[in-house]
Amino acid sequence: MDKNNRVLGRIGARELTEQEVDAVQGAFQVRHTLTPCFIDKKQQLLNGDQAIGECGP
Amino acid sequence: MKLIVLAPEDDNHTAPIKWALEKAGHRVVCWAGLSWTDGGQASLLMNQDDTLVLGGHSVDPGDVIWIRRPELPDPNPKVSEADKKFASLEYRSFYHCIAYFLETLPVWCINKYSAARMTIQKSVQLRLARQCGLKTPSTLMSNQPATVREFFARENSRTICKGFTPHVWQKEGQMSVAITETFELTADQLPSDEVLTYAPAIYQERVPKDFDIRMVLMGNHIYSYALKNTKQALDWRQDAGLGHVTAELVPTPPDVEKGVLEFARRSGVCFGSLDFGVDAQGQWWFLEINEQGQFLWIDQFNREARLLEKFCAFVTSPQGSTLPLEARQDLFPSLAEYEELLKNEQVAPVGRPRPDDPFLSMEA
Repeated sequence: MDKNNRVLGRIGARELTEQEVDAVQGAFQVRHTLTPCFIDKKQQLLNGDQAIGECGP
Repeated sequence: MKLIVLAPEDDNHTAPIKWALEKAGHRVVCWAGLSWTDGGQASLLMNQDDTLVLGGHSVDPGDVIWIRRPELPDPNPKVSEADKKFASLEYRSFYHCIAYFLETLPVWCINKYSAARMTIQKSVQLRLARQCGLKTPSTLMSNQPATVREFFARENSRTICKGFTPHVWQKEGQMSVAITETFELTADQLPSDEVLTYAPAIYQERVPKDFDIRMVLMGNHIYSYALKNTKQALDWRQDAGLGHVTAELVPTPPDVEKGVLEFARRSGVCFGSLDFGVDAQGQWWFLEINEQGQFLWIDQFNREARLLEKFCAFVTSPQGSTLPLEARQDLFPSLAEYEELLKNEQVAPVGRPRPDDPFLSMEA
């Protein structure tokens, strides 16, 4: 990663391998879609405690 | 009485809760938010008897409105390019009219929109928590390099850094991702002043925690779960996703319970997920509250938690009821039953592709 003009949050971000993403997704779809930090590889979205809706941050 | 959920029907918490409530004979309808589509349209008629209709569902006295996760207002894409900005602002304004208007009706909002918008701000929640007697870590929110460096110069103190919002970066053409996480940072590791202005961040005294607590607030009821992750990670959320966390029901210390209930009273929220860190002396440090945070996953890690049933009991009880939720939780089926149906494809799958996720960025 080119760190030259990246935000601090990206510099400190945790890198997950494809295998880890698979592990997070797991065999049981519902199990992990409920967790506070879930990356849905297929749908490409983050499903977490916070939501940017009209109540978003 | 009916429950109106402001969220898509396939939201991962809405779907099982709607299923459980309906199985117990309750009426549940969903409104995903204001949009140009038939199901997303809304009308607010103001006369002697004000009438609010959300996607064909009238809001009636005694209804319970669970503002779970409505989608952003969605204007008709066919509108002229020259009118798009105006239409977008009109949609947003109308949505606000609806959301705030709900609070003026004889309905129970979980949570009130105004309370939710206020409390979701991390600065507000930390200050309020401290005022309510909860222990909070020293925190700096800033994009001013000199002030950040000064904060890191505190003696005998360790510091963590975290964002205001979560985010994922995915490399183009690859499946590997990077995800924001709380991380420890020292003064020596601070980047250049320029970088500190790229994005504001939260810098916080590191709580010397032995383990974490996820607390779920439902009205006057508080349920605390000790989360212990085998990797002793600073941020347990990823480990929860990987299944490396246990969730054990623990008693809430009386002073913490008192503080949380006072926090709820002053903030106006009646429901939320709170995070605490517990240090070696057994002190509970308030870290944050997400007023619509995820909570059903605890049922998956601890089948005795029965938070799905408790939530169903909560939303079907009179507002402000002090009757233990355990007294009515047996009226509702469990998440395990729902999961079994899901596994056998007897209920619709949760989640659906979205064209644009605000928390996801692609990078080279």
